Amino acid sequence: MRRCLPLFLLLLAGVTGLTGANGVPPGRAALVAALLAEPDAQPAALRALVGVEDEAILPVLTAWKQGEVFLYTGADGVRIPFRLDTAPDDQGRFAALAVADGRRLLDAEGRPLSLEATALKPIDTDGAIRRAMRDVTELAALVAPDVATRVAAADRLGQGLKPEHRPLLEKRLQVESSPAVRRALHVALALFDLASGEPARQLAAAAVLEEKDSLAGATQLKTLIDQAASQPNTVDSAVVARAKSAVYSIETHYQVVNFVGTLFRGLSLGSVLLIMALGLAITFGLMGVINMSHGELMVVGAYATYLVQDLFILWFGKSGTAFSWYFVAALPAAFLGAAAMGLILERCVIRFLYRRPLESLLATWGVSLILQQLFRLTFGAANVQILSPDFLMGSVTIRDVTLAYNRIFVIGFAIAVVVALVLLLTRTSLGLTIRAVTQNRTMAACMGVRTDRVNMLTFAFGSGLAGLAGACLTQLGNVGPGLGQTHIVDNFMVVVSGGVGNLFGTVLAALGIGAFDQVLQPWLGAVMGKVVVLIAIILFLQWKPGGLFPSRSRNLD
Amino acid sequence: MQRTVLLSRGQWMVFGGITVTLGVVLPLLNVLLVPGHPLQVSDFTLNLYGKYLTLAVLALGVDLLWGYTGLLSLGQALFFSLGGYAMGMHLMLMIGKRGQYKSDLPDFMVFLGYPGLPAHWQPFYSFWFALAATLLVPAGVALLFGFFAFRSRIKGVYFSILTQALTYAAALLFFRNDFTFGGNNGLTDFKTVLGHELNDPGTRRTLYVLSVALLGGVFLLGRALTRSRFGQIQRAIRDSENRVLFSGYATAHYKLFIFALCAMITGLGGALYVCQVGIINPSEMMPDKSLEAIVWVAVGGRGTLVGPIVGALSVNALKSWATRAYPDLWLIVMGGLFILVVLFLPGGVVSVPGRVSAWWRRRQARRTAAGVAVAEKPVPAPGEKSAESASTP
Amino acid sequence: MKTDWILTVEGVNKTFDGFKAISDLNFYLKRGELRVVIGPNGAGKSTFFDLITGRTKPDSGKIEFGKDTDLIGLNEYQINRLGVGRKFQTPSVYTDHTVWENLQLSLKGPRGVFATLFQRITPAQRTRIDELLEVIRLQAKRDWRAGALAHGEKQWLEIGMLLAQDPELLLVDEPAAGMTDDETHRTGELLISLAGKHSIVVVEHDMTFVKQIARDGELTVLHQGSVLCEGRFDAVQANPKVREVYLGRGK
Repeated sequence: MRRCLPLFLLLLAGVTGLTGANGVPPGRAALVAALLAEPDAQPAALRALVGVEDEAILPVLTAWKQGEVFLYTGADGVRIPFRLDTAPDDQGRFAALAVADGRRLLDAEGRPLSLEATALKPIDTDGAIRRAMRDVTELAALVAPDVATRVAAADRLGQGLKPEHRPLLEKRLQVESSPAVRRALHVALALFDLASGEPARQLAAAAVLEEKDSLAGATQLKTLIDQAASQPNTVDSAVVARAKSAVYSIETHYQVVNFVGTLFRGLSLGSVLLIMALGLAITFGLMGVINMSHGELMVVGAYATYLVQDLFILWFGKSGTAFSWYFVAALPAAFLGAAAMGLILERCVIRFLYRRPLESLLATWGVSLILQQLFRLTFGAANVQILSPDFLMGSVTIRDVTLAYNRIFVIGFAIAVVVALVLLLTRTSLGLTIRAVTQNRTMAACMGVRTDRVNMLTFAFGSGLAGLAGACLTQLGNVGPGLGQTHIVDNFMVVVSGGVGNLFGTVLAALGIGAFDQVLQPWLGAVMGKVVVLIAIILFLQWKPGGLFPSRSRNLD
Repeated sequence: MQRTVLLSRGQWMVFGGITVTLGVVLPLLNVLLVPGHPLQVSDFTLNLYGKYLTLAVLALGVDLLWGYTGLLSLGQALFFSLGGYAMGMHLMLMIGKRGQYKSDLPDFMVFLGYPGLPAHWQPFYSFWFALAATLLVPAGVALLFGFFAFRSRIKGVYFSILTQALTYAAALLFFRNDFTFGGNNGLTDFKTVLGHELNDPGTRRTLYVLSVALLGGVFLLGRALTRSRFGQIQRAIRDSENRVLFSGYATAHYKLFIFALCAMITGLGGALYVCQVGIINPSEMMPDKSLEAIVWVAVGGRGTLVGPIVGALSVNALKSWATRAYPDLWLIVMGGLFILVVLFLPGGVVSVPGRVSAWWRRRQARRTAAGVAVAEKPVPAPGEKSAESASTP
Repeated sequence: MKTDWILTVEGVNKTFDGFKAISDLNFYLKRGELRVVIGPNGAGKSTFFDLITGRTKPDSGKIEFGKDTDLIGLNEYQINRLGVGRKFQTPSVYTDHTVWENLQLSLKGPRGVFATLFQRITPAQRTRIDELLEVIRLQAKRDWRAGALAHGEKQWLEIGMLLAQDPELLLVDEPAAGMTDDETHRTGELLISLAGKHSIVVVEHDMTFVKQIARDGELTVLHQGSVLCEGRFDAVQANPKVREVYLGRGK
């Protein structure tokens, strides 16, 4: 704090500390002084605000620039700058609020002053004043309460390279506690050093930039290297060598970061594919039924989530923590909704078509048409609005890699679903009977397994998984009647390339296709990426016609 | 087994009767009678029928693959659209300066800021090149895809799923503006074909007659094919592919041939469709469109040549009516129809007379000759392909 | 001494997912020989046929047909065209075709796509089909759908289809399954009559039938994917190892 004192002494209006003698914060007092100064003196008066920590500065300056600050001359001749309240009163007039303390101005009779906006003449600005304002706002951002604003300000100042900003950055570094801002400040200072032309400082700067993995630093270092190439002898050779190694190191870092980021996105996409495809793998792989309406069962889950959300809005309102929990309630609702639909489907259509895949494909396509139209009639053709719960919004950044919470959630959820599924199939009696029916329907029936019931439950369970996938999808994209159709092709691809009926293969295929898709997308764009994935799968099946883990059968066909 | 004839005398008469009615009588009723006359066939109706007939060609293509060879291809809409696009490209270039932008370039190219006509569009100034492309482009795609699919013995639902993916991928490509085929909007606003105005009733009538001829020709081709040795092998592949393979036939070659042939037939149908409908866009090649064609075949009766035609015409007529009368319910009706046919009428509509008479004969036999063994041909197994076995003695 | 082998199988191995279906199998068949192969379930009999006919590729080993035609790497249809015919365990006929058509499709002749488009049946082929119908005793049912035949009749039809191909080597998998005793006996006689003209390998379970067709020829016993022993019927029957793994349990 001691080093800050000289700065404070520069302030106008006899400020001695964080608050002025008359209780007005220092920034406001200086603001008022600047507003009241003669136009010629205003830029200098404004510059006095540089480095002052006061949240009021930014909004007042913005208002000034937009012509929303006015002058009131009281009966005693005292001039008071003021702004208007945001909302008018019932006569269409605005309350006048003093810039200094935000209190309402009083007229000569001591009544609160209300004015008509059109009748007022704002305090003017000109080019010089606006330039001064920009200097102040840039620096004001450095002390803003929001971390991201401070980081952005430090980045900007580091690239602006105005010598007078350097001390301010150093000063801020003294008191700054946020690691992200500190890093940005270090980088900014290093950029200043890099521009200094002194080899010793440049070397140190290159080291700092390398350590902090600064992208802006890499750009500046490259400029320096280019400069050394075009104008020899202007840059020390040791500095060039150091700069080159630093650039290499930084670029390597960002390659890794991008790769990890892509991998993460691929993993999350693969997880969505996986949750969707697991249900399909059960109905297709274990039961020999091609369910073209699987996508629509997914949409049932998505709409169930939507309904639960609306119920929560009805009960708790849109804001508040209670609302955020709607998603937790929506998961079982989505599962049960889709499972119930699957149950109806199984009883009415599927049970006549076991082990007749082609017929089941055709009949369930009919079902999918009917369901799509029912969605359209019930919920409308447009997408429905689904709000993300608080805990799924935002992201966390680890070593420059940004991980969105909703994607993390999807990955975790997929893992949970797979674990639950494996446990269900291997550790419960239902799982045992499912596997028995899968392997030999007739024999299982002879052993007293009620195959009919097992089929029903298995199909309902697979459908329920589709519902869960639908609930997950609501957090990643739009929900409309056609949602199922956009995913069904991908789903089948996953099941086919994984090896039908093999859950482990399905997991690998889903993650593989998801990652492959994400790796290709930056190069080829979304559509071409998809096309290439499809071609790759067709070629992959040349090599392994039965998918990753083909199921062997000794039958003739 | 007696000498195979294409059609018996009676069948020729029925075939000729229907062809003449559709191809000569209806157009004459359109030309000779004044509008408003109870028997007059309006231009609109004739055009609509022409569209149905090309869709019936698509259905025949589906059936030659599915009903006769056991290959349920969800890629037929792609071949139909490819044929349509090839013809559409020619029609697009024939617009000339009559487009909105008064440019030699097609409107969408002006709109998207193309510097000039892309090289692969150039040859489509020639009608005959475009016509060849309607055959060869679908055939080429079918050969390439089929080569890989059949080589790795992809069959049954796997084949369906992969052809679905193929169609889907192609549709995604055609939706892109930079794929040079007009993106979302596709190709439209055609003006002339071979110098004739497309909205002239005479041109439309000619296109309609051509559709009748194409359908008739494809029917006879299908008839010849399915009654040949090749056709026997086709059905053998459907019923027991391994037996065919172990009898020394390279089944993959047979499947590739019929797949490519059907792609060509379908492509031709698509070309005539586009001439009459006046637009082709990527939504025509979505897998859904293939499935719709499969519905026609299933409803009409797969594994017969009459079934797909009956199915395509009747379901489309129903669709035209229902989408106007009950627009919200149409998809539900079609879905329901499909489920019912798959579950309860695997032989389709054309199998109904055979089923009824079989039931009647059984009933009679039980009544009159109870206890007496009747030495006669076995009744075909109920449902499956009964119509086909009835038509091939 | 150079024997005229029609089939040479040497050191063949095949593993499915870690399960050794065939292990170091050696098998030699003389031209014109009728050989019966027996073995308990899972001995690898079907895999053995799969390997010869190209349905599965061996991991290692040598399979040769005739003097020096390597069968490894050839497709099913290529191997068939060389003259190897196979009858499956479950009768595999074209259910929707007539009996006549089933035989017609199996007749020796060009098998290319374009050849079949315009092929017409010749009088010689008609005569041949009539002969075959007589052999398999299905003259009366020549126009029946093959799917409507009884199980035993389907077996006969498939044998007829095999004969129509006129192969040098016949691989016959359990021909007597589902036949009456009388039919089984006739099948045996048919196979015996074919031997000499054709070389035949028969896989069978029914020991009466095996005894009938093996006569004084050799018998091969497969066990766990390799040859347990070879020899005359009596010798094999007396072999203690065979009794243990196969006959012992059978009796």
